[in-house]
Parts: sequence; structure tokens; C-alpha cells
Amino acid sequence: MVHTSHDAVARSFTESWGRLVAGLIAWCGDWDLAEECAAEAFAAAVPAWETTGVPDSPLAWLTTVARNRARDRLRRRTTEDAKLALASAGATDQVAPADDADIPDERLRLIFTCCHPALPMPARVALTLRTLCGLTPAEIGRAFLVTEPTMEKRLVRARAKIKNAGIPYRVPPPELWPERVEGVLGVLYLMFNEGYAASSGESLLRVDVSTEAIRLTRSLVDLLPTEPEVRGLLALLLLTDARRPARVRDGRVVPLAEQDRSRWDRGLVLEGTRLLDDDPPWGPYAVQARIALCHDVAARPDGTDWAAIADLYSLLPATPVIELNRAVALSMAHGPEAALPLVESLAGDLAGYYLYAATRADLCARLGRTDEAVAALETAIAQAPTGAERRLLRERRDALLAR
Amino acid sequence: MKYLMIHALDEDATPRTGSNGEPLELAAWIEEMEARGVVLDGARLHPVSDATSVRAPNGTVVVTDGPFAETKEQVAGYDVIDCPDLDSAIAVAAAHPTTGAGSIELRPFDEGMPDPEVPESVPDGKRRYLMLVCADMRRAMAAELDATEVHADSVPERSSADDEEEDEPIDRWIADAGARRLYGWPLAFPDTAVTVRRVDGEVVTTDGPFAETKEQIAGYDLLECTDLDDALEVASSHPVAATGVIELRPLRL
Repeated sequence: MVHTSHDAVARSFTESWGRLVAGLIAWCGDWDLAEECAAEAFAAAVPAWETTGVPDSPLAWLTTVARNRARDRLRRRTTEDAKLALASAGATDQVAPADDADIPDERLRLIFTCCHPALPMPARVALTLRTLCGLTPAEIGRAFLVTEPTMEKRLVRARAKIKNAGIPYRVPPPELWPERVEGVLGVLYLMFNEGYAASSGESLLRVDVSTEAIRLTRSLVDLLPTEPEVRGLLALLLLTDARRPARVRDGRVVPLAEQDRSRWDRGLVLEGTRLLDDDPPWGPYAVQARIALCHDVAARPDGTDWAAIADLYSLLPATPVIELNRAVALSMAHGPEAALPLVESLAGDLAGYYLYAATRADLCARLGRTDEAVAALETAIAQAPTGAERRLLRERRDALLAR
Repeated sequence: MKYLMIHALDEDATPRTGSNGEPLELAAWIEEMEARGVVLDGARLHPVSDATSVRAPNGTVVVTDGPFAETKEQVAGYDVIDCPDLDSAIAVAAAHPTTGAGSIELRPFDEGMPDPEVPESVPDGKRRYLMLVCADMRRAMAAELDATEVHADSVPERSSADDEEEDEPIDRWIADAGARRLYGWPLAFPDTAVTVRRVDGEVVTTDGPFAETKEQIAGYDLLECTDLDDALEVASSHPVAATGVIELRPLRL
């Protein structure tokens, strides 16, 4: 029985935390209070649901409890801010809507505010994980390799800026729409990539931020059904995440070409594919999703349609990193000599980027220019950001030297 | 003459103290300067972590977190003062407690600035923002110099029609901002700036702005908006946003 209640609360937490907090902020305008009282409502649910059973409308139950706690706290405070919050929240103890379906979903307002461009990027990610996903500062800190006090400080500063600078709690108007939607998607994409990179096994303690990013993007698809790039991003995340089971073996990253493709998650590939529109124009996320799909549908590495991948890269904004990726695809489709001039034209822009040196090394090795390849690999090893990547590059260098 | 006092403080530093070691009193300064009719407007700002900057190169609005320039000392507040000359402005600045903790940059306003009339109370649902208009002034100063030399060579002067055309974007911006803009005025070039500090209790006046940055404060406007997005809309359509940067700082009221 205890287990059932615990499980029900845990499930409600995953499903309802974001909606509960978003609704509470809309109701009282106080971020700290909303989070504190949401946490208290979940804590109260564990013993309460054990005796009374899980309510039919868990979100309505949690909202009522949290609002009552918030009112109690506001009454005990005497500051002007508290009086204002109490006034906007309604001083009478009217109950929250009794049915989950009657509670407006305010998460869209919350995510646009958390991802406001006036906030520093790390704060946007942290706020989103805290307020929408319910991760604790300690968990977020672990995910981003900072201490709990540092993460707590980052969250406090972000909430202070929302209040002091008057960042509005709203869904932006149409004229700001493109910029702000792009901003939200950027935060989710960054969150996914951070989590994905962290899953390389160096720190098992790190919370799975990628899964949170996917969960949030799924919600966003429901909340913004007419935005093709939201679907494009979800497709990209799913089509990338599908390869996760084969990405790490014995604590080391396995390159795409060497992954055991039978372990890729076909269900995710199918779901991701269904999200993609057939006809162009495709936004940058949809294009990247199609590139991921080209890999996902190849039964063997040499079955990859590299010419199609090169074409897709040419649809993306031609930044140096995109051009480097396009060069790799060209080399796979048409041979290394076809790609080397493009790679070398990027030398100035990408001098400090380890994947530039690694790519050059690969092309040189394939052209039989072993000395150049080894020298480029030495550069890449010196520039690589993580131990796992360095290890991989060293192995490549040693294999070349052994030839 | 009207001067802008820009209070620049290192938020992480511990305040220095006055000549006798005791903290200089802000309340006393305000009381005295208001009684003398020296201070026309002024406010403290929320910390620099609450700053937001906006640029609009090629018409694309780019909003970023933080101030227009990352400097050790940051703008913490401002006062508009009216003094007969620079020496009396320096004396007014030197008496301000900021000099015991950081620096005060004094910048004359361009001529013709009317007295700012800022209502004491902020209407419900409104907030005030200081909008710092920042630009790389070296180019503008060089252009000014060129224009002077051109005059000396008695090449035809700029016609008044040209002047009107040049004023147009800022006039249109002021009209669009409407009631969201309380007042604003351009400052004289940064080479007119003096900075007042206290070193070991002694007032030290140096030539130039409080920080040598590529972009310098060229003017400011006081905004009264519903929220940051409202203020960003006003700021991003300022003509200088296309080439320079606009910093928005919420006032501490």
C-alpha cells in the first residue's frame, strides 16, 4: 500500500510538477513561493494518498494544497510584496478547480519566461530543469558538474532578474514569436546535448538531462502543434537518442561506424520519422533530423546515403562546423580528395576545434599521407575536451603508426 | 550647465571610506543638493546581473544578458545635476558617497536639454528602466573633426535639409516610444568626461570616462514600461541599436 502511494506520487511528480508550478506562478506571481509550495504539496501527498487513496484529479488536489500553503505563508509575511501577491492570488480561500481538466495549462508561459533571451544561457537551462522538470539544484548541479550552492546561486540570481528586470510571465506576441520559439528550442537542444555528452560513462551520478529534454519537447509539440520546427526538434532528439543503447561500450564512446546497429531503438526511429514533414521547406532542426535518419536507416555503415547527407548539410546555414560536416559527407560519398580542399579552407576558422584536426587526419590517412595524419591527430589529442575522446584519438594514432 | 553623474561601482568590492574614515552619507548629500537645486533627477539601479543588452544589426534584434561592456566597475546609478561650471560639478560629485566606494564619471549633456520632469510615483503596472545608448564614439568623433576641417576649407556647408533628414530617425523613435519614454538627451563626446574618485581619502579627478571601452555611453533615456519585453521593443528600435548597443537597467525604486 505504501508502495502504491509512493509510486502514484512519483508518477504525478513526473506528469504534473511543471503544470503545478506554472499554474501557481500564474496565480501568485511569486516563483520561490510557487516552487516551495509545490514541493510541500507533493510531500503532503505521500501520507494523504496512502490513507485516502489516489484522488481522481491529482493535479487539482495538489493545486488546492499548494495554494493553501501559499496563502498561509503570505499571511504570515508583512512585506508589501506579500500583500501584492496575496491580493493577486485572491485572499479568500476559494478552492482550486476540482477537476484536472479545468486547470489551465500554463506551462507555455513558464517555458517562454525560463528561456527569455535576457537570462544567461546556463540560467535558462537551470531554471527550465528546476521549474518545469522539478529537478533539485543538487541534481542539476551534478548534471552540469557544478556544486549545489553554485547551482542554487545561479537559480536565485535568475529569479531575481525575472523580478527586478520585469521579465514578463507570458506567451510572447506574434511579432516576437520566431525569435522566442527559436530560443526555447535552443535551450532544449542544448539540454539534450549536455545530457547526451554526459552519458559517456565518466559520471554515472549525472541525472539524465537528455530524457528530461525529450519529455519537455514532447509536451511542447502538444502545446505548439502548428510549429513545424518543434516537431523537427523532437524528431532530431528521438532519432539521435535511438542510437544511445549502442553509443557507449565498456565505458567508452563507440564511433557511429562501429556501433552495433541491432541495438538501436527502432521504436524511436519510427516515432521520429513520423514527425517529419515530407515536403520542404524544412527548418534547421528538421534538416538535422533527416541527417540523423539517413544514419538510422542504414543497416550497415557502408549502406549510408552520404550523398543525401551532403545535400542536407547544404540546406543548413554554412557555419564552419556545418561545412566541416558537409566535407565529411562529401568524402564518404565521393572520396577524400573531393573533400580535402573544403576542409583546408576551414583551417582559419576551426584552428582550435579538435574535430577539425581529427577530420583532416582522417582524410590524410585515407590518401596515404600518414605523416600529416599523425601530426593532425596529435593536435586533435591536445585539443579534445574529454578523456573518452582523447582515448579514441590516441588509438587511431597508434593504429596509424603501427602500419 | 547640466551634467550627468554616472556612478560606477565594483559590486564585488568592499566600500572605501571618506577622508576621516567615516562613511559619507548619501541622505545628507541628497538633502543638500536638492535644497540647492543642483539635482534634477537621479536613481539607483538594480545590480548588473539584472542588466540586459540589445543590438539590432541589419534589423535583426539580438537580446543578450549583461551590460554593454564587461568592466570591473559597472554603472550603479545616475544623477542629473545643474552646475555653473565643471569645477562646481566636480565638487558636487566629490561630496557624493560613491567616491568613497567607486568612481563618478561626469559628462556634460549636449546643449539645450530641458529640465527633466519625472513624476515621483510610478503608475501601477509600470516599471522604470534606464536605457543607456552606447556606441563606438571614435568614429563619430572623427566624423565631427572631418566636418570641422571641411568647414575650415569653406567647402559648402551641410544644408539644413540634410540636417532635418538626419534628425528624422530619432524623432520617429521618440514619437513611437510615446509615453513609454519619460525623457532623454544625448551626452557630449567621451573626451569631455572627467572621473572623480577618492584615493586614500583625497579627491582625485582624472581625464576621461570611468572605463576605457570600445563602446561608450552616448546618451540615455528614462523609460516607463510594463515589462522588460516592452522596454526591449522601445530599445531595439532606437536608431543607435543598428550600429551600437543599448543597455537596459531596471531602476531600484
